[in-house]
Amino acid sequence: MNKNTLYTLLTYITLAFLTVTTLTSCEDVVDLDVKAGAPQLVVDGWVTNQQTSQSIRLTESAGYFDNSPAKPVLGATVTVSDDKGRVFSFVDFKKDGNYVWKPVAISDTIGRVGRTYTLRIRIGTEEYTAVSKLNRVPKIDSVTYFFDKLPIAPADDAPKEGYTAEFFARDPMGAGDCYWIKSYKNGKYFNKTTEVTIAYDAAFSPGANSDGLRFILPIRRAISPEFYKEKDTVKVELCSIPLEGYYFLNQVRTESNNQGLFATAPSNIYSNIQNTNPKGRKALGFFGAAAVSTFTEVIDAKKAKPKDGN
Amino acid sequence: MAYHLLSAMKHIFSILLWLGMATWVYSQEKRTISGYIKDASNGESLIGVSVYVREIGNGTVTNDYGYYALNLPTGVSYTLVFNYIGYEKVEKKVTLTDDLKLSIELKDESVKLQEVIVKTTKEDENVKNIEMSVNKVEMKTIRQMPALLGEVDLVRSIQLLPGVTSVGEGASGFNVRGGNIDQNLVLLDEAPVFNASHLFGFFSVFNPDAVKDVKLVKGGIPAQYGGRISSILDVRLKEGNAKKREINGGIGTIFSRLSYEQPFAKGKGSFIVAGRRSYIDVLAKPFLNGDLKNSRFYFYDLTAKANYRIDDKNTVFASGYFGRDVFGADFGFEWGNQTATVRWNHIFNNKLFMNATAFYSNYDYGLESDRNNTRQSGDKFKWNSNIKTWSMKPDFTYYLTPNNTVTFGGQYINYSTKPGTATAISSGEERNISLDPRYADESSLYIGNDQKLNESLSFQYGIRYSYFRNLGPGTAYEFLEVVKGERKLPVSEKKYESGVINTYGNWEPRFSTKIELNSSTSIKASYNRTAQYLHLLSNTAASSPLDVWTLSSKIIKPQIADQVALGWFQNFQENTYEASLEVYYKKLQNQVDYVANSDLLLNTYLEGDLLFGNGRAYGAEVYVKKNRGKLTGWLSYTLARTERKIEGINNDNWFPARFDKTHNLSTVVLYQLNDRLSFSANFAFNTGTPATFPTNRFEWGGWTLPQNVDNSRNAARIPAYHRLDLGATLKSKKKLFGKGQGEWVLSIYNVYNRRNPFSMYVRQNEDNNLKTEAVRYAVIGSVVPAITYNFKF
Repeated sequence: MNKNTLYTLLTYITLAFLTVTTLTSCEDVVDLDVKAGAPQLVVDGWVTNQQTSQSIRLTESAGYFDNSPAKPVLGATVTVSDDKGRVFSFVDFKKDGNYVWKPVAISDTIGRVGRTYTLRIRIGTEEYTAVSKLNRVPKIDSVTYFFDKLPIAPADDAPKEGYTAEFFARDPMGAGDCYWIKSYKNGKYFNKTTEVTIAYDAAFSPGANSDGLRFILPIRRAISPEFYKEKDTVKVELCSIPLEGYYFLNQVRTESNNQGLFATAPSNIYSNIQNTNPKGRKALGFFGAAAVSTFTEVIDAKKAKPKDGN
Repeated sequence: MAYHLLSAMKHIFSILLWLGMATWVYSQEKRTISGYIKDASNGESLIGVSVYVREIGNGTVTNDYGYYALNLPTGVSYTLVFNYIGYEKVEKKVTLTDDLKLSIELKDESVKLQEVIVKTTKEDENVKNIEMSVNKVEMKTIRQMPALLGEVDLVRSIQLLPGVTSVGEGASGFNVRGGNIDQNLVLLDEAPVFNASHLFGFFSVFNPDAVKDVKLVKGGIPAQYGGRISSILDVRLKEGNAKKREINGGIGTIFSRLSYEQPFAKGKGSFIVAGRRSYIDVLAKPFLNGDLKNSRFYFYDLTAKANYRIDDKNTVFASGYFGRDVFGADFGFEWGNQTATVRWNHIFNNKLFMNATAFYSNYDYGLESDRNNTRQSGDKFKWNSNIKTWSMKPDFTYYLTPNNTVTFGGQYINYSTKPGTATAISSGEERNISLDPRYADESSLYIGNDQKLNESLSFQYGIRYSYFRNLGPGTAYEFLEVVKGERKLPVSEKKYESGVINTYGNWEPRFSTKIELNSSTSIKASYNRTAQYLHLLSNTAASSPLDVWTLSSKIIKPQIADQVALGWFQNFQENTYEASLEVYYKKLQNQVDYVANSDLLLNTYLEGDLLFGNGRAYGAEVYVKKNRGKLTGWLSYTLARTERKIEGINNDNWFPARFDKTHNLSTVVLYQLNDRLSFSANFAFNTGTPATFPTNRFEWGGWTLPQNVDNSRNAARIPAYHRLDLGATLKSKKKLFGKGQGEWVLSIYNVYNRRNPFSMYVRQNEDNNLKTEAVRYAVIGSVVPAITYNFKF
């Protein structure tokens, strides 16, 4: 079982209990002085097997409480090549740090399952690289939903009742497939770090011996961080990611929600971006290759399943 | 048994023989006075009572079973003075011609509180006793202190003693002189308790109605103790009233309690049964509906003990503890300890006392999802984990001469652990994701001597040899380090069907000395080495009930501590005040830490996620205690530093441990206004605990993420912690149903309503991913008043 989920749950149980017993734990936003370190290159990008333009964003890191948008890195030379010798150039058309590759023909894609992709970034005299393999992804068989109610109203203004959706897909045989499951409500991406759902085979983590299973229930239902209502559009993206991507995202989730009694010691998030000069300035972020399966469903009360049915 | 243990035995017995020979010469023409010392009101044996022989200016103290023995020349008259804090002093004149049995009952002093007696006796434990770095808190005191939610709590109370800290309010366990929480041997009638917490750490598992005596040994650990490297928390249960039936109980905010004590076999035996249960779930039940209808949230414990005196030379004890925490609705989570102890006190002759103990202890937890789901095609997740131990432990005390008390014995502990037994069902397909069980045993032998060289100089020295074996069936893994400080990859594994997989042996020398400068001043010094083969793996700030006790292995080496301590002990005003100043330095080896992203649960290759290093802790502790009068209490101050140095963390430099607190001040004040009314107050001030904050931020995937360019650990600190609690106890005027007694206890925790931080952390704003902020998190963020009613028949 995934530890974060578990601890969130534990904390929830504790808090629920303490609320009942009049004890109140509380969180206050406070001022904190930290000394900013030197900025570093940040790489944020994926290449996929989808027939769309692909983009790699280059920015600089800044002081932690510097609440302005990240400063873009301009004038870099960015290419992605695959292990069959194809080279794709990424260009910063808008001069905003977003380096984009656009398909020439409609059927053009960069990503092919099984190939390995190498990112090269040249900024002045420094060169950075990252390597990622594009792994297989199963198709999503269906998305179903049932009507549900919460026993107590949620803290924010999220609805108290509505439809819980779940997607069905089966992890292919052969251990070690990693996934990132993204979901959208009416086109709006559930973008909180607490909503990051990753899977190792069909369950949360490598120890779960879940190879070849249908994705387990908490993962299937993770596409419903809040209720959907009649006529809402549910969109699910199941992305195959490399193992390093799994660890990267796992750490993203841990480090951005590291709080409470069961917080772990904060540590720096792993990066797969390498400076070709080992003594050169290190970079942050992640570059990955992914295959994507999508499924879209519009909520229709007539098609809803009973709550405890399959 | 293996060669190591044999050779250790040979060494130890030759020392014993030598000691025996050496003292034999002097032990002619002597007879022994011995006996048990008990509380006159209920027949409970009293531990640590001073027995002083005026004529020779020397004496002894009763052992853990209230037994004492003095070997003295015959034909002389002696005056024996029995003295124990909180009890009336008793003097007995005897003429010694033959072996003499002298059992004494002491009366509780508080009966005569109004006429505050000024003691003229010079004997005093603080100065006279060789023990140092030991804190005893009387249950009477603990009961009077203001408590969180009015629930009298042993572990919370000892956190107000010098040298004791914790990672923060609400965290389970306690840290002693720079040791992790798993380095405390928590004994309940000699059986180890693996998780001493209810409700994730808010309350400890010890029922105050059933506890007789609590002792915390932080240093100068005698040879008879082993298995944990930082401290011993020795909790002894009441034996049960041997004079009359007694019923105690109470209704508090969290628990309702009831205990029953009764003598049997004409006073030769007695027993106590004590139970507690939280009852908020019962009150909440009518208000729960829908999915919450099936919620379970309660915790309880049951403690029982019986003793039976077969004859003058044989007494048997049986005690047990059973406690459980149960939470959840459709998702269930529960955990608990069970312990059972059987003991036999046997007096071979007037000089040789034996206590033989056998115990069983078990800690387990279980999680289960979709409890309401019974369909074949359904989804389910079920997981449990446990650690079971049983042990045999004979301990001997040999009262060689009044100046030499030899203790020797040994222990065998058998461990069997199930780190995780789990099944997952996804759409009806079941998978077993269990880890292999692990087995081990630990054997030890020890011998020690308490030697009084003259009136002012005493020594306590001893040695312990411990020997640990990983037993089959099991698998030993080997790992390869790719990048220092990151996850190590498994490279090979070797399966063992049976037999011994791996062994460790350690010599653990112990030494203490006391130099009495005058009747109210002494200097004490000690050194001890301790070894530990069991590790609680926990990568979170507070330990959670899910943390797994893990045995040493080829990869996880035994933890070893060396500690030296030096102390000045001084009493004032005829022992009304006792004071001590101690300094200590402790070195820790093979301390465990964790890689980033470590996965400690259900992970076959868990050992690859561990990092190892050393620890050091040093500090000074001041303790002033007022024992007598209407106003009693203590003041404790600790100045300390606790650090770790772990491969791959903090750039391989020393960093402060999560529970490091530079200043740690606490005071406890109890004031007895009159027979019926008493007041109490606690005040605590601690330096804020260390924290790690990012220096920079970076944007990725639409999120703002933290980054620490220095790669440092615990370089910053959160604000200081301070808190005042007040309490009052009012005994009711009227007798309850004609003969009983009732009392109201009012307590106010965190009187001035301070939001004491447990931690500080950073996050991106909930509504705006690009905005970052710092957050202070308080576990208890308000004043907590509570009222409790206690009764006694």
